[in-house]
Amino acid sequence: MRKSSQCAVVLASVYVCFGTALPNAFADETCNSPYISNLIKGQEDFVHVWTLGVEGLGDGSDKLVTIDANPGSETYGKVVHRTSVGGRGEAHHMGFTDDRKFLWAGGLDDSKIYVFDVGTNPSKPKLIRTIADLPAKTKFVGPHDFYALPGRMLIGNLSNTTDKSGVTGMALYNNKGSLISRYDMPTTSIGGVKGDGYGYGIAINPAKNVLLTSSFSGWQNYMRELGDLIKDPEAMKHFGNTLVVWNLKSMQPTQILSVPGAPLEIRWSLAPGQNWAITAAALTSKLWLIKQGEGGVWAATEVGTIGNPAQIPLPVDISITADGRGLWVNTFMDGTTHYFDITDPEHPRESYQKHTGSQVNMISQSWDGKRLYITSSLLAHWDKKGADNEQFLRAFNWDGQALTPAFEVDFTKEKLGRPHHMKFTAKAGQSRTLAALGQQ
Amino acid sequence: MAACLLTFASAQAAVDVGPATAPRMEFTPLPPGTYRLQAIQSVEDATLLDERGRPVRLSALTRGKITLLTFFYTYCVDPLGCPFAHQTLTMLRDRILRDRELAREVRFVGISCDPSTDTPDVLARYAMDFTTNSRFEWRFLTARSVSALLPVLDDFGQDISVEVEASGRPTRALHHMLKVFLIDPRGSVREIYSLAYIQPAVMLNDIRTLHLERLLGRTSRQAAIEPPRAGASREINGSDGQQ
Repeated sequence: MRKSSQCAVVLASVYVCFGTALPNAFADETCNSPYISNLIKGQEDFVHVWTLGVEGLGDGSDKLVTIDANPGSETYGKVVHRTSVGGRGEAHHMGFTDDRKFLWAGGLDDSKIYVFDVGTNPSKPKLIRTIADLPAKTKFVGPHDFYALPGRMLIGNLSNTTDKSGVTGMALYNNKGSLISRYDMPTTSIGGVKGDGYGYGIAINPAKNVLLTSSFSGWQNYMRELGDLIKDPEAMKHFGNTLVVWNLKSMQPTQILSVPGAPLEIRWSLAPGQNWAITAAALTSKLWLIKQGEGGVWAATEVGTIGNPAQIPLPVDISITADGRGLWVNTFMDGTTHYFDITDPEHPRESYQKHTGSQVNMISQSWDGKRLYITSSLLAHWDKKGADNEQFLRAFNWDGQALTPAFEVDFTKEKLGRPHHMKFTAKAGQSRTLAALGQQ
Repeated sequence: MAACLLTFASAQAAVDVGPATAPRMEFTPLPPGTYRLQAIQSVEDATLLDERGRPVRLSALTRGKITLLTFFYTYCVDPLGCPFAHQTLTMLRDRILRDRELAREVRFVGISCDPSTDTPDVLARYAMDFTTNSRFEWRFLTARSVSALLPVLDDFGQDISVEVEASGRPTRALHHMLKVFLIDPRGSVREIYSLAYIQPAVMLNDIRTLHLERLLGRTSRQAAIEPPRAGASREINGSDGQQ
């Protein structure tokens, strides 16, 4: 920019431009794609909960529930909106587009993908698009992870249309909702490790040009009653045992890492200079560190234990702190929330735990780490029965020493369903879209 | 970015874009031609205005050559926003110019997000810093009006928001997510770079990859790299499903 223009800009000090650069610290937010703009560093205003419908409860449909999360608001801790999709397809996970204006949310059973506008008015999300061509066009079912790329959405799936096993792949859509490409999870050997073809989580490190994917199980297992499943030794063999390292630019697998026991969520430390990610294996209750070593080769190392593995506590969701020094882990079966000090990621140390419900799954934290949100549901057929089938969102304050309750929403009492994945939004403040101004 | 943050903070207490960081590249980019760039979307045509105020079809500047296209404002001061993008493009242009054949096949296009301020005259003065080399095509476009620009922004998924005063009057503070679009000679977007991936070495290799594709006769159709057809999903007219 020429000097005269620069002077003009200095004089007109309100003339600003935001390139919306990628911050070097994030919120839960750390669990989002690094391509997302406008990460919420301060107080979130809303927490959106992708909720699985329950037959006979309310409208019985899957829905996006919006809860006021700002303590300064009159409706703090209350459900302020619900956006029903008119069907029940095993609502599970969701993800923002790169501009954070839309949430893509999936059903593991019907494989539909719902696109909600949460940017125009985050207090009242609108369903604007339903994408129903995933199975037909890709042969994949069970859209699980929705991970933003610039102008695109990378979807990690759980199963396939042919035999409903865990052999699956990823699908890449543009933000307009059209399929760009599909990528099979590897089933051949790379570096002496055979791929199981299974999928689950997606996590990208742009500075390394690396995509990591994890592995769970197929429709035959996740849509089956858990009590029946665990009594079937043959079925219990069909869980993932690998992480795959991909070259992000070419979308080619470069390494397969052996990580037994269904490694699920993957979280990168995005602090500058760090070269590791962490995951928890659900069936073995182990923490695994994925780190780049000599010559750029990635390796997976078991670094910690969560709870008592003999009791199969079933670690599920994890959330890494913005500074990469702490990790929250929920264990579903014993309803416990654990905090690990991972200042030394090769030697995680559990420093706190709290029983937070009869069953706990997803966990999300604010950027500053002071607020923690937990939901209860894992899968419709895996959730507990009877009195243990609590369905809730519980919000806590964390002072670095202990969790103290902030508010709670009873999803059964409110006739909402089974709450699962959570994402935060903030109000637009004093801004309007160019399009909205153009219509005035 | 810090200076911008001060002005921004008063309007949006919760959303903090944070201290910006330049993109890091801790890997060796793949050599050109060793990977495929998928077709992400096609570019819809539109009529914009060039630096002389002449109407120009967008297709004339997004087809026939490999195009890098970005949205900007002439008064942007974000060091990791538009100026950073243009600095990167300048660096890229200089590297492309070392290869005369490649330089003939590549162009850069900038489209202003603020047609009210960035009139053709303003663009012409702004462009002088970037169009010093006649061997390289670098064009700057604006629109007759915001309403003429909106379909272009929508097609590229560029959401622009404007800060407003308490009275509702728009200010001159604009927000958008920085993206650079790589478009092949057939008018198909083949890569999109947000800040984390505005890395000259990678972008140059992507340009060369498309150039090789053309040289070897592997058009996007022959390589089965067609942009997806629109209309694959069902649009819903703003159902909020409120119970």
